[in-house]
Amino acid sequence: MSRPLMRTAGAAAVLAAALAASGCSGASSGASSDLGTITMMAPYFEAQPPAADGAAMKKLDEITGKNLNVTWVPNSSYEEKTNITLASSEIPHVMIIQSKSPGFVKNAEAGAFWDLTDKLAKYPNLKTTMPEVQKNASVNGKVYGVFRGRSPIRASVMFRQDWMDKLGLQPPKTVEDLYNIAKAFTERDPDGNGKNDTWGITIPKWGALGTNSPYDIIEEWFGAGNRWTERDGKLVPSFETDEFLQADRFIKKMVDEKLINADFATFDGTKWNEPFLNGKGGIIVDVDSRVSQIVGLFKQADPANYTTKVGFVGNLTGPDGKLRAHPTDGYAGFIAIPKAKVRTEADLDQVLKFLDKLNSKDAAIVLNNGIEGVNFSVKDGKAVPVSPETPEAKAVNADVKSGLAQLGMNVAGNQFYQPKQASDYEQKVYDRRIEVMAEDLKSAVYNPAASLVSPTYVAKGVQLDNIVADARIKYLAGQIDEQGLKDAIKLWNTSGGDKVKDEINKLWQDSRK
Amino acid sequence: MTVTQLESGEREATSSKRTPPAPRRRRSFAVHFAHYKWLYLLLLPGLAYFIVFRYGPMYGVTIAFKDFVPFLGINDSQWVGFRHFQDFFANPDFPRLLGNTLILAFLNLGVGFPLTIVLALLLNEVRLTILKRTVQTLVYLPHFLSWTIVASLSFLLFALDVGPLFTFLNGVFGTHVDFLSNPNWFRPLIVLQDVWKNTGWGTIIFLAALATVDQEQYEAAVIDGAGRFRRIWHITLPSIRSTIIVMLILAVGQVLNTGFEQIYLMTNALNRSVADVFDTYVYFVGITQGAYSYSTAVGLFKSVVGIVLIFGTNWVAKRFNQSGLF
Repeated sequence: MSRPLMRTAGAAAVLAAALAASGCSGASSGASSDLGTITMMAPYFEAQPPAADGAAMKKLDEITGKNLNVTWVPNSSYEEKTNITLASSEIPHVMIIQSKSPGFVKNAEAGAFWDLTDKLAKYPNLKTTMPEVQKNASVNGKVYGVFRGRSPIRASVMFRQDWMDKLGLQPPKTVEDLYNIAKAFTERDPDGNGKNDTWGITIPKWGALGTNSPYDIIEEWFGAGNRWTERDGKLVPSFETDEFLQADRFIKKMVDEKLINADFATFDGTKWNEPFLNGKGGIIVDVDSRVSQIVGLFKQADPANYTTKVGFVGNLTGPDGKLRAHPTDGYAGFIAIPKAKVRTEADLDQVLKFLDKLNSKDAAIVLNNGIEGVNFSVKDGKAVPVSPETPEAKAVNADVKSGLAQLGMNVAGNQFYQPKQASDYEQKVYDRRIEVMAEDLKSAVYNPAASLVSPTYVAKGVQLDNIVADARIKYLAGQIDEQGLKDAIKLWNTSGGDKVKDEINKLWQDSRK
Repeated sequence: MTVTQLESGEREATSSKRTPPAPRRRRSFAVHFAHYKWLYLLLLPGLAYFIVFRYGPMYGVTIAFKDFVPFLGINDSQWVGFRHFQDFFANPDFPRLLGNTLILAFLNLGVGFPLTIVLALLLNEVRLTILKRTVQTLVYLPHFLSWTIVASLSFLLFALDVGPLFTFLNGVFGTHVDFLSNPNWFRPLIVLQDVWKNTGWGTIIFLAALATVDQEQYEAAVIDGAGRFRRIWHITLPSIRSTIIVMLILAVGQVLNTGFEQIYLMTNALNRSVADVFDTYVYFVGITQGAYSYSTAVGLFKSVVGIVLIFGTNWVAKRFNQSGLF
């Protein structure tokens, strides 16, 4: 017997065993009274997950009146773990679902999660003030979870301000400006070392479609829309528009002229800041929070001069002079309740009451700021970190940073304190970020199909999208020409994309009735 | 007349003499069993292992023929027949995956397997024991590094414009090839990594076989005036021929296991067209996208190809008058 079969069989066996076990364990947890402890599954982002018995967790237990037991999973493997957990006996009461992945949608449509569409409004803290976002987070209008709200506008262009000053350049307003600055950064020796060793924009290995990558952002600026766009009364994928090709031609020109790092197809995303800090690549197109991050890193390296290093703007206008800001869908996954664990309506009510408390102002402050008087104090409505940092404060700060904020939903806007930045300059940068993003919000172009989930796309959308995503990178790298890119888009259509388009359009028509 | 015909002929002959035959055979098995009962007891743990961990789980393979939804479980998911297989064979990815897997597999086999034998022969010819031992240890070492480390090393060595091997090779040949993203270099890179990591380790069995070769034959050959290459060709290689055949059959059975980690780590958008193999595909589609049924079907297909290859090689080995595995 050969090994591969064993492996497949082995994986299946784990599932089988897990399912069998879930049948047994279900009986013990079926009683509706046994909800003193709420189990949750959530991602964390640092080397260590938040401490299970930390002061912040205890405070949350106090606020919610439940014993909260969170299984923290490293963010990098969260998607995998979600799929495996759904097939196992270890299902928690509450699960953070990061995306409407095929695995999730299939389970949800089979009835694995409670449909919360008509339930959320009954709980004061779960009633959203942003119904559009709640709709985006739904599966064809069915709400399977409490969405985790995020600022819708995050796209930003950040650049080396010291280079701009040296070359006498103005901050970019249009994509043409972006090109000119990138060219100047590459060819006019902005660091003044006499060597031709700098480039304009740094782009990491980040190719998938619709992931808010620099490619997606620039394409939207050109007018290709946000994943889907309406043309002649029908929805078409962004990559079928002329603007998409135009934008990619623009990026390719920069690649050809070496204004973009040559290893963009293989460059490790976790090292994205390095060329910027080391004075190699002077521009990054990414979320605006990176601006503050980079300012902080410069401050660490050179506290005397860090205020002159970083400049940034928001979204840029396209070649036609119109501003189309790139928004996210306004949420970062949602918190869903599996039926396998929460069996009755009465239990569901308890869990929702728990989530309601977890979304109260008091809990939001613990999740995002920490504990007042321990790691921060409030001044002018802002959270000021306790300084010098006590061991207790350090522990709480670490927990907040690592993952506690992941449990927050903020469906009625942010109720916690804005953090007071460490220095006046950093505060200025922070305030300006808020300002720029608020201004861009007026020009946001949303994904009209955000809430629509087509069955064909669930079955093979990711493979389909890979066809175009890989072709895009190949085209930029010069492995294929524009005809090759068009052929790939044709292949997307013939491999099942046609069906996806039909289904999405039908769902879209239905949703507008 | 084949062996089985002979056996059955004999059996008929014996059974016609002594009647009734069936109870006798049963009794003889009972006697046999009673006699060896402790040995049979020893067999139990191994048997249990195979049943519990190897055969039992095969029940789960049924999800390849179902539309498996974890929430519903294996039993309650809908049967869909061969739909996942049809989808897979009709998929434009299919010929590419099959081609990539086979090419990589046979490149690894075609380069790695002979190199292992050559290295074993070379080591065998080294007369200075201390040198032989040192070299052996050094070539075993890479086997103990994980693929993550091997991939990281490759990324450092071949990094665009700064990696030492990148600058050296491109300097010597006056080119500007990005080995890490150029699809033409993907396969050589994979084979190179594989050779570097596994060749030394693979020599162990051959060295053991080489140690059993009758030394007197060499002495006789030396007297007859045979040089080193003659001795290797006429004595060493024929002596370890059966080992080579068995190792080859085993290697062919493993051939489609192209190494998930290695390929996964070395893949990027530019070389994906040559890098996608069954193993990585099953991971992407099955684990990350939750298409369990479809990916099980793909894995099952891969296993069938693997079985065909094992039996095929065994058959070929027998045709060439060698003892096969079974």
